[in-house]
Amino acid sequence: MNMAALLRGLRAGRALRGLASVVAAPAATKPQCSSLSRGFHRATLRLQDDSKSDKPPSSSSTTYHEHYQAHSAEQDTAAAAQEDSTSDPAADQASRPNTSYQDQGGEQGEEYETEEQLQARILTAALEFVPQHGWSMEAIAIGAETLGLSSASTGMFYNGAGDLVLHFLAQCNSQLTDILAEQHNQVQLGQAERKKTADFLRDAVETRLRMLIPYIESWPQAMSILLLPHNIPDSLKHLSTLVDDIWYYAGDRSTDMNWYTKRAALTGIYNTTELVMLQDSSPDFQDTWNFLDNRIQDVVNMATTAKQMQSTGETVVQGFMGAAITLKNLTGLNQRR
Amino acid sequence: MAASMRLLLRRVIRLSHRYNNVTAAGVSARSGCCWAPSTCRCFSDVAGDRSTHFGFETVPETEKAKRVYKVFENVAQKYDTMNDVMSLGIHRLWKDMLLHAMHPQPGARLLDVAGGTGDISFRFLEYARSQQERQKRRTARSMQTPSSQDISNNYFTEDEDTPQESRAVVCDINKEMLNVGRKRADSMGISAGLSWVVGNAEELPFDDDQFDIYTIAFGIRNVTHIDQALQEALRVLKPGGRFMCLEFSKVTNPVLARIYDAYSFQMIPVLGEVIAGDWKSYQYLVESIRKFPDQEEFKYMIEDAGFYCVKYNNLTGGVVALHSGFKL
Repeated sequence: MNMAALLRGLRAGRALRGLASVVAAPAATKPQCSSLSRGFHRATLRLQDDSKSDKPPSSSSTTYHEHYQAHSAEQDTAAAAQEDSTSDPAADQASRPNTSYQDQGGEQGEEYETEEQLQARILTAALEFVPQHGWSMEAIAIGAETLGLSSASTGMFYNGAGDLVLHFLAQCNSQLTDILAEQHNQVQLGQAERKKTADFLRDAVETRLRMLIPYIESWPQAMSILLLPHNIPDSLKHLSTLVDDIWYYAGDRSTDMNWYTKRAALTGIYNTTELVMLQDSSPDFQDTWNFLDNRIQDVVNMATTAKQMQSTGETVVQGFMGAAITLKNLTGLNQRR
Repeated sequence: MAASMRLLLRRVIRLSHRYNNVTAAGVSARSGCCWAPSTCRCFSDVAGDRSTHFGFETVPETEKAKRVYKVFENVAQKYDTMNDVMSLGIHRLWKDMLLHAMHPQPGARLLDVAGGTGDISFRFLEYARSQQERQKRRTARSMQTPSSQDISNNYFTEDEDTPQESRAVVCDINKEMLNVGRKRADSMGISAGLSWVVGNAEELPFDDDQFDIYTIAFGIRNVTHIDQALQEALRVLKPGGRFMCLEFSKVTNPVLARIYDAYSFQMIPVLGEVIAGDWKSYQYLVESIRKFPDQEEFKYMIEDAGFYCVKYNNLTGGVVALHSGFKL
């Protein structure tokens, strides 16, 4: 009974302290800067949740605009954001829409984060043990133990190894998006040259596939997990957002059939290159990059061939029309009587 | 012989009539009754004399624990038989599903509160043992053609590779139930990693942060202060530990609910009288199920106690609910 009262008192005290910090923060020395950075911190937290959770952003281009702006702005306020970056009860209270423990004020030991963030942390810690234990619950259990949590917390992951693989996919995709946004930024600032489309695609796919290298031994197991029926929707979503990202940063703003053909082509290139990489034993996967070069060249050739065929077709049709009219003139059928 | 049979029959019919009237009133006023004791408790708190429900009766809180103790003392010997008869053997499936949902990792420590005759703990140790054997077979298969590197590695890592033992602690307030459980364990030959402790779920005799998994199967409705039991569970669990509760709950389907009610109130006490010779205990059992909060309410209680990621599954259409929460 006293234990219960003590616990309740502690919790109330912590909640009050949380509230006090929220009230006191606006009266800080740099009110605008800190609130701005807290806002961006909140935005990046939410975006981190979005990119780490298994739901894709609803409209990819607008999200990447937000992400890009938040990313560049965060660099500007990096100094001010330092002090707020570790734990911010206000930001976390705002970014906990799906928990019903408002009265607890976001305090539970040292967990100033949502359940999703904790799950993401466990999965990230578990990735370290994947080369040894494969994509399995054991890796997740050991990952949880390195964070100081009991191995029973693996029960949170109802999809088991699938959760781990999907988390890894989401992490790689968001890393790639960061890199591409950074490059885009450099081009905007004039510090780098804009690449040709074929080169850009090649570099983007290579960067993304290089992230698989530490796990290449167990990647076939991961692919088989992704092909399980209940994982297929999620894995397709990740693949489609990846391909969309790459094309967006390559500068594709098409609104017609090209949108679909371009993404289909890149999906084919990415999947086949990934499969080639699995059984590639050349130094630094040189064979894979050569294969990638050839495939991109194929697609580029096909595009130019299609254009040539179209113009050739038009010319041929014009030629026929001309020949027909000449014939008609010769036989006198074209004269008007 | 015929005379004694007739006497028994007449006694059964008389008892059933008497309890039928009580239970009919109880069932119809079930929703009212559910809230009444909590409000009663509020008011009687002020008056300084707290009472709670014991089945459909109202008893002082201090007395409930004693009466529950007596109930289980009476039923201990025939507990397992009665479980099989009353649930038509389905209780084994429920407990198997609890273990399946738990999927404990090797080296986990289990605290089975109100574990009584040890069903959950036996299954847990069985699971741990088969997991270990599977692990051994896997390493043996991968070691069939060891390279020289593997052999040299084996020499160095022999000491570090001792697999962690899974351990289970069965805790119950009732010594009789623990005795029955210990006899079962001896007869089944399970002794390694199993301990039997007498303790009250509201005041567990363990230190903080001790266990990976806390289970309470069909026991929490007998606890006088459920929120205290939940807080004790939170206390003894390690960070990241899991709380799992298997308990009878509200049936969602109305047709099934009527059949279930009829079965509970007509059949079960009769079976109790015929097989175990104890009508009242099984009447208490059935009534206490009705007094227990439903799935959503119990989920809120678990969340209030401080658990996260609380979820529940209905088994057998809501007859039994499996709640699970994490200490994060």
